[in-house]
Amino acid sequence: MALLHVKDVSKHYEKGKNVLSDINMEIFEGEFVSIIGPSGAGKSTFLRCINRMINISEGDIHFDGIDVSSLNKKSLRKHRTKIGMIFQHYNLVSRLTVIENVLHGRFGHKSTLQGVLGMFTEDEKMEAFHLLEKLGMSEHAYKRCDQLSGGQKQRVGIARALIQSPKLLLCDEPIASLDPNASKVIMDHLQSISKEMNITCIVNLHQVDVARKYSDRVIGLNSGRVVYDGESKALSSKAIHAIYGSEAGSLIME
Amino acid sequence: MTTIKSNDLTYDFKKKTSAGKIKIKVWGKSQIVMLLTFLSLFILTVYGFWTFDLKGISLIEATNETLYNLKVMFLQPSFSHFTLLDAVGQIGITLGLGFLSTLLGVILSLFLALFAAKNLSTKTVSNAIIVVVTFIRAVPTVLWVLILAIAAGLGSEAVILGMVLHSVAFLVKAFSESFEEVDEGIIEALRASGANWWHIVTHAVIPTTASSLLSWSFLRFETNFTVAVAMGAAAGAGGIGFELLMASGFYFDLREVGFITYFILVIAIGLELFSTQLKKRFLTNASA
Ligand SMILES: Nc1ncnc2c1ncn2[C@@H]1O[C@H](COP(=O)(O)OP(=O)(O)OP(=O)(O)O)[C@@H](O)[C@H]1O
Ligand SMILES: [Mg+2]
Repeated sequence: MALLHVKDVSKHYEKGKNVLSDINMEIFEGEFVSIIGPSGAGKSTFLRCINRMINISEGDIHFDGIDVSSLNKKSLRKHRTKIGMIFQHYNLVSRLTVIENVLHGRFGHKSTLQGVLGMFTEDEKMEAFHLLEKLGMSEHAYKRCDQLSGGQKQRVGIARALIQSPKLLLCDEPIASLDPNASKVIMDHLQSISKEMNITCIVNLHQVDVARKYSDRVIGLNSGRVVYDGESKALSSKAIHAIYGSEAGSLIME
Repeated sequence: MTTIKSNDLTYDFKKKTSAGKIKIKVWGKSQIVMLLTFLSLFILTVYGFWTFDLKGISLIEATNETLYNLKVMFLQPSFSHFTLLDAVGQIGITLGLGFLSTLLGVILSLFLALFAAKNLSTKTVSNAIIVVVTFIRAVPTVLWVLILAIAAGLGSEAVILGMVLHSVAFLVKAFSESFEEVDEGIIEALRASGANWWHIVTHAVIPTTASSLLSWSFLRFETNFTVAVAMGAAAGAGGIGFELLMASGFYFDLREVGFITYFILVIAIGLELFSTQLKKRFLTNASA
């Protein structure tokens, strides 16, 4: 059975203006899926519907066998702990240290009092260091996050998401603010997370070549509709132009 | 690619004066309102001086007397009705009044500001708090003290209550605006990981805003110190303000007034220096 089941999903912020229309897809465990499409296509909106940071208007989303729309406040928190999220601007608390930021990923598993008092178990701290080690960041564990480079910040973001022990990672343009070297490091880490830890990754990207290189499957969105859904190898330049709605040859590509 | 040639621009955006020179300033509505305001204030000022009722006091004589009084006050300060130790004790009382009201104000404001910040609260609750707080702030501290004195009696209780009330009104605005500046993305990231409101407040919002909260609190402490001086005299809360009132209004001891003024000045400067240091330390920390 699919990990994520999206059926006839539509979303509008204002009446009559659909940002997402009739989205249907199934995403399986361990899959690495890229979503590409022009600005304003609805990529960020779609990701946020999955962990219900945004409520959908129509259709339903089943994740891990649970109907996402039906969740109450408490079970919604539990649902969100199973889904890690990674952002373009990292969204770390920059005045706190790396290790503190990583442990923030555990709040979903804690009561209010435990969280407020910052009561983390030794196991959780060990796990945090283990993840930082894996991402090559353990030497920076006690640095404040505003002293890190963009690529390092993004690795902290990944560690914060992984410590949730998620089944799914949602990545909203994780490399849009990074140079090519740091981008490669981040994409390599995401790939190994998906392959070795069997965590499903859904990644919004603006770089078609990156999407093609790293993902098993590419989904193309345009004006809130799925216009391509298939293997990344099968992604032809004709399909790319259909996704971006442009004339052949007018896109910047290698 | 083509470049835009200057003669492609058919419309001339330059405005000219009647003499044919290019205008730089454009007279809009706001400039005219500003000019009219200044003009009327100027006329009122001239009219005011013109119609002063001087009651037969000669301007030169009065100026001389005032200068003499100021000279006695500030060039020959001394104390006669109390000792230096007394003065220190009285300053201590005034500082205590200021400190206590600031502390209570900060604690109350912290909670209220969380519910007043638009990004952490609902629109209705936030607006309700903002309206109440704006009303409280619009009434001066002295008036609040006098109003509260009806229930608490004139004295330090009413003064502290009044000062706390006004501090809360001020700090809720300052704190909630700091909270609203917290990056929306940080809050989103924690919410997406399943953290609840209290987790986000204590581990993201407060750490991010801590230094500005501290700066605002200390600024309010400085204000409360000066208010406490005035209240000591006006509402009988005691402290150095009361001594100042006695020296000037009861004993007519100009030298003592001078002494007390200097003393207050020293403390005020001390507080100012301290807060500058505080700010500097936190700001350098932030940019490091
Ligand atoms: N909170 C909101 N209220 C109203 N409209 C919104 C809101 N958020 C997004 N939209 C609209 O929804 C559409 C899709 O936005 P979305 O951010 O999902 O696009 P995107 O594909 O992520 O674009 P980008 O590549 O620029 O990040 C846009 O037209 C945007 O204006
Ligand atoms: Mg987006």
